[in-house]
Amino acid sequence: MYKLSPLTDRVARIREKYRTTRPSICTARYRIVTEFYQENPQLQGILKRAKNFKSICEKLPVLINEDEVIVGWQAAKYRACALYPETSFSWFLDELKAGTIPLRDVDPYDIDPEDVEYILSTGDFWRKECLSAKVDEYIPPGYHKAAGNGVTTFGVKDTCTSPIGHFTANFEKAMRKGFGAIKAEAQQKMDKLEGVLFGNNVEKYNFYRAVTIVCDGMITLSRRYGQECERLASTEQNPARKKELLEMADCLNWIMANPCRSFHDALQCMFLYQIGLCLDAQQHGISFGRVDQYLGSFYEADIAQGRISHSRAQELLDLFYLKVAEMNKIWPYFATLSGPGYTSGQLMTIGGVTRDGKDATNPVSFMMLQSAGRLVLHDPPQSLRIHKGTPPELWEAAVETTRIAGGVPTFENDDVIIPALMARGLPLESARNYCLIGCVEPQGCGDEWACPGGNGTEAFFNLANAFLLAINNGCNPMPDRHGKRSGQTGLPTGYLYEMETFDQVLDAVKKQIEYFAAWHVSLVNTFEYVASEHMQLPLLSATIDGCMESGKDVMKGGAKYNSTGNAAIAIGNITDSLAVVKHMVYDKKLISARELYDAIMSNWEGKEDLRQTILNEAPHYGNDNEYVDVFARWVSDVYGNAINSATGPRGRWAAGLFPVTAHVLFGMFTGATPDGRKAGEPLSDGISPVQQLDRNGPTAIIKSVSAIDQKKFSNGTLLNMRFHPSALSNETGKEKLIALIKTYFALGGMELQFNVVSAKTLKDAQANPKDYRDLVVRIAGFSAYFVELYKASQDDIIKRTELSL
Amino acid sequence: MKGRVYDIQGFSIQDGPGIRTTVFLKGCPLRCPWCHSPESQQFHPQLSWMASRCVGIEDCGKCLAACPRLAISPGKFAENPATQKTIRHIHIDRTKCDNCGECASVCTRKALYVCGTDYTVDDLVARLSKDIPFYEHSGGGVTISGGEPLSQSEFTLQLLTALKRRNIHTAVDTTGFAGYETIQSILPCTDLFLYDLKHMDCAQHRTVTGVANELILENAQRIARAGGKLQVRLPVIPSFNDSEENVRETGIFCKSLGNAVTLIQLLPYHNLGVMKYQRIDDSKPVLEAPVPSDEKIAALRRVLEDLQLPVTVH
Repeated sequence: MYKLSPLTDRVARIREKYRTTRPSICTARYRIVTEFYQENPQLQGILKRAKNFKSICEKLPVLINEDEVIVGWQAAKYRACALYPETSFSWFLDELKAGTIPLRDVDPYDIDPEDVEYILSTGDFWRKECLSAKVDEYIPPGYHKAAGNGVTTFGVKDTCTSPIGHFTANFEKAMRKGFGAIKAEAQQKMDKLEGVLFGNNVEKYNFYRAVTIVCDGMITLSRRYGQECERLASTEQNPARKKELLEMADCLNWIMANPCRSFHDALQCMFLYQIGLCLDAQQHGISFGRVDQYLGSFYEADIAQGRISHSRAQELLDLFYLKVAEMNKIWPYFATLSGPGYTSGQLMTIGGVTRDGKDATNPVSFMMLQSAGRLVLHDPPQSLRIHKGTPPELWEAAVETTRIAGGVPTFENDDVIIPALMARGLPLESARNYCLIGCVEPQGCGDEWACPGGNGTEAFFNLANAFLLAINNGCNPMPDRHGKRSGQTGLPTGYLYEMETFDQVLDAVKKQIEYFAAWHVSLVNTFEYVASEHMQLPLLSATIDGCMESGKDVMKGGAKYNSTGNAAIAIGNITDSLAVVKHMVYDKKLISARELYDAIMSNWEGKEDLRQTILNEAPHYGNDNEYVDVFARWVSDVYGNAINSATGPRGRWAAGLFPVTAHVLFGMFTGATPDGRKAGEPLSDGISPVQQLDRNGPTAIIKSVSAIDQKKFSNGTLLNMRFHPSALSNETGKEKLIALIKTYFALGGMELQFNVVSAKTLKDAQANPKDYRDLVVRIAGFSAYFVELYKASQDDIIKRTELSL
Repeated sequence: MKGRVYDIQGFSIQDGPGIRTTVFLKGCPLRCPWCHSPESQQFHPQLSWMASRCVGIEDCGKCLAACPRLAISPGKFAENPATQKTIRHIHIDRTKCDNCGECASVCTRKALYVCGTDYTVDDLVARLSKDIPFYEHSGGGVTISGGEPLSQSEFTLQLLTALKRRNIHTAVDTTGFAGYETIQSILPCTDLFLYDLKHMDCAQHRTVTGVANELILENAQRIARAGGKLQVRLPVIPSFNDSEENVRETGIFCKSLGNAVTLIQLLPYHNLGVMKYQRIDDSKPVLEAPVPSDEKIAALRRVLEDLQLPVTVH
């Protein structure tokens, strides 16, 4: 039976510190970047970004905390986050002026008054200098009319609050080759080109130049940490710690410039490169990829040579996990509502198959689950790739881990994802080597620039509102968060009560989805056009396959494989809405279209009986009822085809079906829907059925969601289930749960995640947060500590149907 | 031919091997006071009323007007748990009610519903076949439970035959209280019997369940002799059958059945069914006992394990 081994004292101490320290904001990065940008207006494009990064690496204070072995940090203070004014800053200045940041009901941050003053005295510079301001200039004028639709999620101002991308670097290259060799290669390419800068060679030459600069930056940062270790060692009284600090110094002085020699080197290299990527690109959704695959051979070699014990290796991995968990980033308040709980989306992938199709499980696969389970961490999120040869021991360890840390890991189906990635252009070997990014987004590990988070702007597409616009002549019935009602923003498809047949309803919905999908793509492509000039990513491009060969940054299409991701939310609500309209109005003729239309436009005012009839008697998705489930297939096909057939500057788009917690946030701004949902209530989550309307248990849910052609959604799908702990209380329960997942995957399911917690426990935790400090729950694309969520998000989790016996 | 079903439950993971879908047939000849499915006892459809869903006669009250026999009248005052508002519930005069279901058809919140639906074999098999992928991946199948499936023996036989024709694993959850010829008829298409042994002492058995246990024990022996498989279920009911002596005797009986017994399940008493009695206004005395302690169950488990019997606890 799977067991957790105890934490070492050191790890337990750091974990306690992590759980009891309130996050804060540090201005170290902000100060360095602001000075650099103000002093260097002449620098633009990729060289500006490369030199900006190098300047950060040279100037950012190095921070080594007590007990730490794996080091590197984005700020000058423990548990503090950095600021990224280059992308979007007006929102931050506004919230800072309002003084609300430390007082928020979700993810508050402390900030020193002195820092507030400094930012307020310098921040206006960024209002016009940030990427957001630049993108705003390029928004097509027609969108000013189309905005406010509630389907696409762009504003017409300040659109770039999300970071660039969502990506995974090629960590293996950083470990096996090192930035010393990458720099030498770039230098050689420059030497060949210098003096013959014909055609596109100028771009290539300067790309390589930028690569040499960021390689220097990475090496400098590592050595500065090495020197700090030596300094600390010189005054350290404890001989064991002194020895350890000197070993750390040896590691940090060696890695980055050279290939890694050991498990410790590889772990440190991976983390510090990650810190570099976050310092450059702005943290969020920057994922680690196939960690067990990078580390497995280092671990095995060290063990075989007697250079490390298993328990020491496990401790180092624990310490690495804690470092990742400590990272976070402040978001605008409203964006926080769609990703609460100080989450950073640094997803790690476990298991699956190797490039040649064999089972990839190794000892580190188990060690990763062990760390997540015994540390009870919500972050880093983890995904377990499942294939037919996944060993039963790994299955067991994973199910046990998810019971302890809600939703860690998620289960991903190789049999669906690999063909889905091949359909979007990856060859078999690359597809087999996929990893998951951010929440659930599959991507070639180290060779693809897939922008699954939608390349810097919000990637979500609200299908429920597409439906409402379709039956309301293109008008969003719900005012925006400023209370402003937009006019006709969509196509004039008429009103429900004018539609004589159900086919006319379907036709209107299809038109609106396609119309807004085209707008959504247009805006993200516009964003990419502007960002690819101002926000290239040479540090990432230094390792991603294809960039060094083509001499182009990832943002310019340099990666070997390319795509752009998008995700739709509220499949459950739109599916149910279609079924309800068909059933109530056109098939059974229980009410007229006018009555139903009036009921939802008045938010069911005085129509509670009708609403109850709909909730209790109309067919609902999630119950293995074909009458409804065909619409899940239909609407996902309409959306998926519209997105998948779109193209961006670098290649094709890829559709997905997952929500982060956007389903709660967007629900607040979505009017009542015919499925019985009231205005402002959360939308359904991922491809999951509408909350509490799945009345026939997990097998029925799985049959219903399998109606969706999931391989069409190479940007990921998400099915969230909650089980009562009794379902897993004994060994046969676990076996049966595993059989349930296997059945789902055999039926074409792509991803499954679950919480094992009772509604009673969650309600108690809501009332007595102090007693449940470490209760981790899966929200949607990520997990969080339940007590750190805001109430609406907590309520949404409680409301999800509890599946037991 | 139709059978009367009061529930169909997917993802049943304690009613036999693998992931199963369980069909609950309505009607039972026994009257065990710990029964957690009182709605399973009567053979006829029964009007049920779930208080938590009712919003009260002031806001709704449609059922009062809908009842052709005037069996529904204003009832007690209560708090609506959703709104904390005081509402007035309904009272059903069961002497007048003939379970016609007119009231349920106007109840939009499904507080009133008729428990018991008639299915043809074909319709039921179509429903159960939807879960075939789960049976196949888990080594599961269909369990026919009740009530007492053998009380609707012709329907049960036809259903089992149809399931076996689709190569679905079948289990029958039974009290064993039926003529052996009935059991014999279903034996060829029953892969497993989930077989209740409530007490080894005949007098005790009769006093509490209303029937003697000789037939039940004899049927178990005959099933074993005929090559049938038994998963024996022992509900652990405080101060009725929870003595180590009774459990040991049950174990010895199971031993005597040889390798016919694949597993013994201890089912500790729980009181989750008590509220279900109110839904059908069943006023018969219900056992309300403390839930057996973990130590108690562990001790009983050891008794059986000492006899080298395979045991699980649910």
